[in-house]
Formats: sequence, C-alpha cells, structure tokens
Amino acid sequence: MAARGIAVTPIAFTERTLPNGLQVIAVPSSTSPTVSVQVWYHVGSKDDPAGRSGFAHLFEHLMFKSTRHLKSEQFDRLTEDVGGSNNAFTSDDVTAYHEVVPSNHLETLLWAEAERMSNLDVVQANFVSERAVVEEEYRQRILATPYGRFFNAIPTAAYQVHPYKRPGIGSIADLEAASLSDVAAFHAVYYRPDNATLVVAGDFDARQLDAWVDKYFARLPRPATPIPRVNDVEPPWPADRNVNVTGPNVALPAVALTWLAPPVASPDAPALRIAAALLASGESSRLNQSLVYRQQLASQAGFEADLRAGPGLLTASAIAAGGKPLAQVGAALLDEVLRLTRQPVAASELAKVKTQVLTAALLTRQSPEGLASAMAEAAVLEGNPAAINSGLTALQNVSAADVQRVMRRYVGEAHKVTLTYTQAPGAAASAPEGAGK
Amino acid sequence: MMRLSSTSIHRPPLSRWWLRTAGLVVTTAGCAFGMAQAQAQAQTQAPQTQTQMQMQMQSETSDLVSPPLPAAPRPLRIDAPVEQRLANGLRVVLAERRDVQLVTTQLLALSGSEADPPERAGLAAMTAALLTKGTRRHSAAALASAAESLGGSLDSGAGWDRSQVAITVSVPKLDAALGLLSEAVRQPTFAQAELDRLRTQSLDELKVAYTRPGTLATLTGQHLLFGNGPYGRPAAGTPTSLPRITRSDLLALHAATFRPDNAVLVFAGDLDAGGALRLAQRYFGDWKAPSMPPALARSPAARPQSARSPVAPTGAASGDIVPALPSGGLSPTAAVIDMPQSGQAAVVLTAALPPLGADRPAAAVLNAVLGGGFSSRLSQEIRIKRGLSYSAGSQLDARRGPAALQVVVQTKNPSAPEVVSLMQAELDRLIAAPVGEDELAARKATLIGGFSRAVETTGGLASAVSSLIVAGLPPEALRTRIQDLGAVRAADVQRLAAANLGPAQRRLVVAGEAASFVDGLKAQAPGLTVVPADSLDLERGDRLLR
Repeated sequence: MAARGIAVTPIAFTERTLPNGLQVIAVPSSTSPTVSVQVWYHVGSKDDPAGRSGFAHLFEHLMFKSTRHLKSEQFDRLTEDVGGSNNAFTSDDVTAYHEVVPSNHLETLLWAEAERMSNLDVVQANFVSERAVVEEEYRQRILATPYGRFFNAIPTAAYQVHPYKRPGIGSIADLEAASLSDVAAFHAVYYRPDNATLVVAGDFDARQLDAWVDKYFARLPRPATPIPRVNDVEPPWPADRNVNVTGPNVALPAVALTWLAPPVASPDAPALRIAAALLASGESSRLNQSLVYRQQLASQAGFEADLRAGPGLLTASAIAAGGKPLAQVGAALLDEVLRLTRQPVAASELAKVKTQVLTAALLTRQSPEGLASAMAEAAVLEGNPAAINSGLTALQNVSAADVQRVMRRYVGEAHKVTLTYTQAPGAAASAPEGAGK
Repeated sequence: MMRLSSTSIHRPPLSRWWLRTAGLVVTTAGCAFGMAQAQAQAQTQAPQTQTQMQMQMQSETSDLVSPPLPAAPRPLRIDAPVEQRLANGLRVVLAERRDVQLVTTQLLALSGSEADPPERAGLAAMTAALLTKGTRRHSAAALASAAESLGGSLDSGAGWDRSQVAITVSVPKLDAALGLLSEAVRQPTFAQAELDRLRTQSLDELKVAYTRPGTLATLTGQHLLFGNGPYGRPAAGTPTSLPRITRSDLLALHAATFRPDNAVLVFAGDLDAGGALRLAQRYFGDWKAPSMPPALARSPAARPQSARSPVAPTGAASGDIVPALPSGGLSPTAAVIDMPQSGQAAVVLTAALPPLGADRPAAAVLNAVLGGGFSSRLSQEIRIKRGLSYSAGSQLDARRGPAALQVVVQTKNPSAPEVVSLMQAELDRLIAAPVGEDELAARKATLIGGFSRAVETTGGLASAVSSLIVAGLPPEALRTRIQDLGAVRAADVQRLAAANLGPAQRRLVVAGEAASFVDGLKAQAPGLTVVPADSLDLERGDRLLR
C-alpha cells in the first residue's frame, strides 16, 4: 500500500503442510547471507497442567538440553559458536524457538529442530539445574524488578475462569512439584509436527529448503491421539472489581485498569490496535501528553491491546508521579481512555498513528529474524499467513468511527478490573535519602 | 536519557535468555526411543529391492544421528561508509543500505557525561534530553507530534563521550525529519518549565531505579573505581545533583557541545552520498561554530587508585590532548549495599582498563569469553552448571578514557557469597592461562555474528558507525571490524587480563538483603563496608556513606 507516501512491499512467501501436519512457510530475502529458522509450537502457558503452573516455560528451557543425538547445550554450539544466535520464548498461546545463523548452516539447524521435536531426552541433573535457573528467572523478573509483582498479578485478577489467569512464570511451589516424567509426558502430548509451524526467512534456495524439510521433518510421525485444547469461555464481569497488590519496596504506587478484549482474529482487532497506538504510542500519544506532560500526575502511562488466540486484555496503566494521590491518577487514566469513546479522533491524529504503524512494519522487516517473526505471528496467532500483508491493509483502513465503536463496545460498555500497587504496610520503602523529597 | 518510553509499560515475554548470547555443557544423552522413531521412515515412492531399502535406511539413519556439516560460507559484504565535510567543519558520514526504504539520521556531538561538573552530575543527560522539549518553532508537544507524524521519534540523550539526537523515518519523510532534527540541535529553548518538569520526572525515575539491586550495585562499583571524577558519578545524576542544575548550565553546555566542529551527522540507510550532502547543507550549512575553540578536555578521566603509575593511553589520535588527571578511586575495595526485602542480590565485580586504543578488539574478545553471552564462562559456571542465576554475564564500557569491565550477576540473596567466589575464580582463570583455540574461535564467531546482525538494520548500522567515531576511529574501520576481531590472539587476551584484572584491581559490590549473605562475604572480603541503601552517597570523593 502507498498511503501517505510510504510503500510497504508485500512479503512474498510460500506455504505448505506436510502429510504429518507440520506447517512450513518460507520467506526468501537476500539482504544478508543469514537465515532465520523458527519453530512455533501451538502450546503455551494456558496449557500448563493443573498444579504445574509455569510448566510450558520450564519445558522451553529444557528443549536446549539433551536429545537422542544432541548433547545438552549443543544447540548453542550449532548457532552461537558459528556466528549465529538463538533464543526462545513462551507466551500464553505459543512456545517459539528461534535462531539466526549464517545461511550455510541452514541444513544443520533444520536437522537440529527436527531432532529436538522428536527425540528430546532430558536427564535428571539437567532438569534440576535448569529448574533452578527458571526459579532465578522468577526472582529476577517478579521479585527484583520494580513492578514485577504488580504486572504478574494482573492475569489472576483480570480473568474469572480462563487458564490465562495463571501467569506464565508459574510459582516456585508448582515448579518444585514438577518432575522429569512430566517433561516426557508434555513432550509427547504437545511437541508433534501437527502442532507446530516452521518458518524459514532469509538467504536460502527454495528447492533445497523443500528437500531438507522433507528429509528431516517428513519422517516424524503424526500421533493418533488428539491434542488437548483450551476452549474455556470467559464470561463478562458482572460488575467492576478492585484488587490491591502490595510489595516491600514500592517507590511510586501504580494503577492498572483492565477490560476483556476479543480474540486476535476478531474483525475488531485492527481498530483496537489503532486505539492503543493513539493512547500510548510515543511522546505525542494521548496518555503521555495528558497524564505525564500536562497534568504531571504520572511518571509513566501506557495502554496495551494484548490480543491473543482466546479472550485478550486491554490494559491501561500508570505509575504515579511522586506525591500524587493514586486515586487521582487512576481517575485521570480512566478519563483519558474514555475520551476515545466520546469523540471521534481527528484525521491528522489517525494519520499519524497509521504512519507509525507502517514505519514499524518497515523496521521489523529489515532482518530475516524480523520477517520470520512477523510471518509466524500471522500464521500461528492469527491463523492466516497472508495476514502479514492483509493485516497492514486492515490497519490502514480503520476509520475514526471504528475506533470509537470498538472503544465503546469493549471499554465504555464493559466492566473493568482496577488493580492498585502500593507499599506493603509495616515495611518502609528503602531508597537513598533525598530521593523521596 | 531518563525519560522511559511512554508506550505501554512493556513486559518482555518469558524467554530462555535475557539479553545476550548462549553456554557450554557436555553431558551424554541415551535412550532407545529416538532410534525407533528414526527407523519409522516415510514410504519411498518407487518400489525398491530389499537391498536397496536396507542401504537407504542405513544411510538415512546415519544421516540423522549427527548434525549435517555446513556448506561453504556465503560472503558478507560490509561497505565502507563515505565521509564528507561541510565548510563549517561538520563531518557528514553515510553508511548506505539500499532497498530498506528507511534512513536513520543521528547528529552526534563528541562530548557527554564525562564533562559533567563535579556538583552537577546529570547535566549532559539533562541537556540532551531537553533538546526535544521545545524549540524556537515548536513547543515540546508540537515537536513530538510533528516527529511522530513522520512515523519516527526524536530520541536524544547523552552517554560517555557523546551526546546525540536521532530519528528513523521512511525515505519520503526524510527531508522533513532533518528539519525537526536540526531545530532540536540548533534552536532548543530550554524553557524553565521544561527543565522543572524533566527534573521532577527524573527524580521520580531515580526513586524507582534505586529499588533495583542491579542499579545500586553497578553505580556503586563505578564510584569505587573512579571516585568523584568522570565515569565515577552517575551519568543520570543523583537526587542531590539534579536540583542544582540551572537553565544557565544547560545553555552553556549546549553552546560548548553542539557546534559543527564538535559534531558528526551520521546517516544510515536508503540514501546516496549526494543526497546526504544536500540534506546536511540544507539543514546544517549555516550552522556556525562559536569563536571559542572546542573544549580541550575531551580527555581520559582519572585512573582509579592503584599502586602502579598511570599508563599512557595508546592509540590517541594525533592532536588530541590527553592531560593526566589525579586518580580518584575510593579506598574501600568491597561494599555491601543493604536493601532489606530485596528480591535478589546483585553481585558486581568491576575493574578498570586504560584507554583501549589498539586493544579494543582484544578487550571485546576478552569480554565475550568471560561473560559476553550465553556461551561465556560466567554463564557456563554460574547459570548452566549450577542454576544460580538467570542472567550471568559481563559488559565492557569502552570510552575515550579508562574503560570499565563489569561482571554482573543477579542471584537469590543466600547465594551471593558463592557467586562472588565463582566470579573471582573466572577472572583468575583469564589471567592464569590463555584461552584455548577452539573456545577463542567460538567466542570470536559469536562476537562477529552479533556485529553482522546489528548492522542489518539502519539503527544498528548508525550505532556501529557512531561508536567508531566516538572512539576516535575512522568510519572506514567498519569494514575491517570483523578482521580486527578475528586477528585477536589468546596471548592478547591473557595480557590484558594480567595487566588489569588482578585481585587488587577489582572492586566488589553486592546489593541485596545483607542479613542473608554479609557474614559469608566478610570471610572473602575482610575490609567490607556495609552501607544501608538509603544512606548511599554516590557523590562523595572519600566514602560511600552520606
């Protein structure tokens, strides 16, 4: 599309599904002699077994340990040691393994991904040490990060029944209850070709890629058993709800407002993304200008449209400026969000946000990794690879009336959960003298 | 600088590795399960004889038991940036990357936080941040709106030896973006109301930052090394230094820093040399330097206190004046910052190196081996083998003055003493023996790979070019960076370690819940100073206690 003078070239890709159910997407790009290989499994923290919160994420860590033909951390030998990189992440809906390597290593990585998809074999000692790492990750992200406890509390407060209620990091108790036999069981249930999407982007020969994918992945069997799926229906809140969370060292209190959002495949999703950008994208965004700059009520303010396979969340949040009453901050936050329900946004402001969106797409697509990630999101989260292109068109077509309509439906006419984050009673916030003055 | 992004408060997804690269463990796997899988081959299309099938299964199986070898490497091409110069002295450097439809533009001034006056830590950072908070033509709000309507944002800040304003936009918006960038650099108004607003926001941010054990530990470590001199005071300022900053201070620093003979205009992306020169001429051609020469104090800062005499900096560009400054480190070599109820302890071990000069590549490789990624020694020993941390690593702050190597690990409070001894052992190991060839090659590959990926984007490319410029290197060095890293020998790494990372040169700081670890630490560091977090003073030249 060439709106506002910016032409974003549509991404060219091929897609096929192997007889064993593996979805394979290829995105050629010759900008550098590197290739991004990503395998997104359609399992996430929403699938954590009962009593095993945090398991999908722990399992992700374990996928880098031993397999039948790979030593523990050998994956790093095949990537880092040859000038590549690797990482993985676990979200509510997916667990994604991604690496970038010089393109002459593509075959090796395809072999390695097929190997750990089929032959994972973790030993007890590595299970124990990696679990300890995950517990340190919990401490680092949740306990030692200023608003870690606060954001970790949001899912539990914001959902009534859906498994999205449980934070993906889990709890130390549930992690300690997990065992090596749980690992093998989880692998058998979820790590299978018909529950995965392979995306390759960058410098490769298409026919060579097809041949290697056939060689290493086509042989993996499709299990006869069904894949358990989360289908819980999250009911609307019958009334507004307030939850207070405390912490031992809260320098500035914070507030969050949450509303339920439709799934990412909803026709309302593009308008919600535009609304979030109007509220929170950049210094000129509404929340920053109103709460941080003009009223000086907040140190930071934001809005996120966290759209997922199932019911998502719209979350407005603010960290209070020093000395400002949290109730006043919360009221100002709500008021600014509701303004989008009261008046249609001006054309110039809508145009600004759309230009930001297109520029962001160009930024992402500069590298094979960015291309592959964008493609995987479209294929796996939205269920449609072509959305990598049509999604941008949909965002450009959002009207001011659309924004007002979706904000009325999901915010103005819906109940919300309000969370506040304050200093725990009896514990003084510790900070160098003068900081509180 | 201090203003965090105003977009939604971002929670990163749960990932295997926090920041950098990945580790080394050798254990053997064993299980018959996989072999059965491997033998369940997909049916071949044409009927085969028994022998053919046996041979095929055999070769397929053997293909599957070990990673296939890589093919021949495909060449990576990195072009030399092109440099031009305006009549007023402004250098214009272009690193081309066509077909991405984007350009990153950065106006880089060659001085920053190291020049903060002793009582005014944070001045360079505040000055840079306020450039985008109102100009002669645009209020702060209008400037932000104008920039973001172009799809980019005006980002300004200061670091050691540098201050900059940058914006990334698509090609059709580039001319307008240069106009806004030029305004911010040349005509900021530094309104009192904006200074007051930013100061209040910055003080609030410090309140939050000071509840992070990692922040207190790293700031204290640099203060122990460099005292109240440049690099020893926090670049973001402190709760006592920020209130001292006046509008006159901002105006004076702006005039001294942002002048064409102290600046470089860096372009990276979809632009050619003629286009770069035209834009520079249009928006900076009539920018005049003041009659006073640029400050000569673009010089290395104080060496930390040590028994050895200061080492003359190597590789200083001819014409640079590098005056010796008195050394200013603090006498405690180990400190605990007590943060009751802290979720973890942050353990920092740090040491200074002289201005790196020709040793820059060797220092980068040293850092990669030690803690520059997931496969590093720190990660291997602390995270992978023992599960003591999620992020265990090191970073190298290379500057025109002395560099600082910081080893940083966060761990549960009771584990702090064990982590300290593991960190000390890894530094000892770098001194005691040269890195083996395989390990050296692997860590160089990681470093080179990271660099290659960084320059795939216009932002990364601009950043790589500006880092070279700040280091006093020619932009053409971009093209030889990979060779330079590849040429580092194990002996270079060991020499640097032996000269600079000895036990007497290290400073140790642990910030966390002291009751959980202070007794264990005292056994390792008898002269330990314990400071309650709310009594920590990072501006005194003689001690850490307020």
